[in-house]
Amino acid sequence: MKRRLALMSLSLLALTGCVTQPTKKDMSAFTAAAPRSILVVPIVNKSLDVDAPNYVLSTLPIPIAEKGYYVFPVNTTKVVLEQEGFYEGERIHEQPASTLARLFGSDAVLYVTINRWDAQFALITTTVTVDFSYRLVSKNDVEIWQERKQMRYQPDNSNNNAASPMGALLAAVISAAITRAAPNYMPLARQANQQVFILGPNPLPDGPYKTAEKP
Amino acid sequence: MIRTIALAGCLALTGCASKGLYQWGGYEEQLYSAYKDPTKVETLRLKLETLLQETQQAGRRVAPGLYAELGTVYLQAGNRPQAIRYYELERRTWPESTLLMTAMIQNLERLEKGTQGDKQ
Repeated sequence: MKRRLALMSLSLLALTGCVTQPTKKDMSAFTAAAPRSILVVPIVNKSLDVDAPNYVLSTLPIPIAEKGYYVFPVNTTKVVLEQEGFYEGERIHEQPASTLARLFGSDAVLYVTINRWDAQFALITTTVTVDFSYRLVSKNDVEIWQERKQMRYQPDNSNNNAASPMGALLAAVISAAITRAAPNYMPLARQANQQVFILGPNPLPDGPYKTAEKP
Repeated sequence: MIRTIALAGCLALTGCASKGLYQWGGYEEQLYSAYKDPTKVETLRLKLETLLQETQQAGRRVAPGLYAELGTVYLQAGNRPQAIRYYELERRTWPESTLLMTAMIQNLERLEKGTQGDKQ
C-alpha cells in the first residue's frame, strides 16, 4: 500500500513536471550565454558528513547530460584540480567561473553546495534531509541559472497492514532502526536533481544535444 | 522503499523524456561505490569497459565524459598509454573536450617519453 501510494504521488509529480508553471524566471542571460558544455566542479559541503560531496558529485552528470549538454567528466575534473593543488570545494568555488572555464575549455561552470545532509533521530521516527544550492555561471562570470532544493524523507510508519497498535509500533521501531543504521541519502539526492534540472518550475533549458534530437 | 523511490525516479524521468539520450550502464552507481570504497575502482573500470564496448557495437554515441573517466581510472593505476588512448577517444567523440583532452594527452606523452628514456 505504502509502495503504491509513493509511486502514485511520484507519477503525479512527473505529470505536473511537464505542465508549464506560471512562475517562470527570466532566462535571457542563459539564452545569451547559450552554453554547450558544463563543468561540474567538486562540491562545497556545509554538512557534517565528509563523504557527502563525492556522493553528490556522482549524481550530477547523468541528469545534466540527458538535458543535452556536454558534461565534463566529474571524476577527471576532480583529479585534474587536485593535481593543480585544489582539494577543497571551498577553494574551488572561490575561483571565478572564467578562470575554471579557461582551464578546462567549458562554456559554463556549475557550483553545487550541500546545505544539509542529515538524519534526525526522534525516539521512533527518523527524518532524512538533503538540501542543495545550484549555481550555473557562464565563462564570462555571469550567473545564468540558480536553484535551491530541499528533500525530506520520513519512513511512513502508519502501517495499515499491522493487525494491532503494538504491531504498528514494532514496525515503526524496526524501520527507524534500519534508517538509523544506514540512512540512505542517494535516492533523495537524485530526486533533488530531478526536481531542479527537469521537473521543477525553473528547469535547466534543453541543451544542444537534446534540441538537435527533436525533429 | 529504496527501490520504490529509484523506480519512481525512473518513472519521473520517462514522464518527460520518452527515452534517454545515452547508455550509462551503472556509471553513477559504480562511481559512488568507488568513492565509498576505493578498492571498488576495479569494478568501475570493468563496468565502463563493458559499457563502452556495447555502446560502440550498437553504433551509438558514448555518453559525455565516459571515455575520459575510464582514461582517468587507468591514469591513477599508472597505465599512461591506456589513459592516452581513452582521452583520444573522448576528444574524437566530443569536440567540447578538445582543450582539456589535448592538454592531458600532451602532458602524458611528455611523461611517457621521459620514463621510456629511463628504462632503456
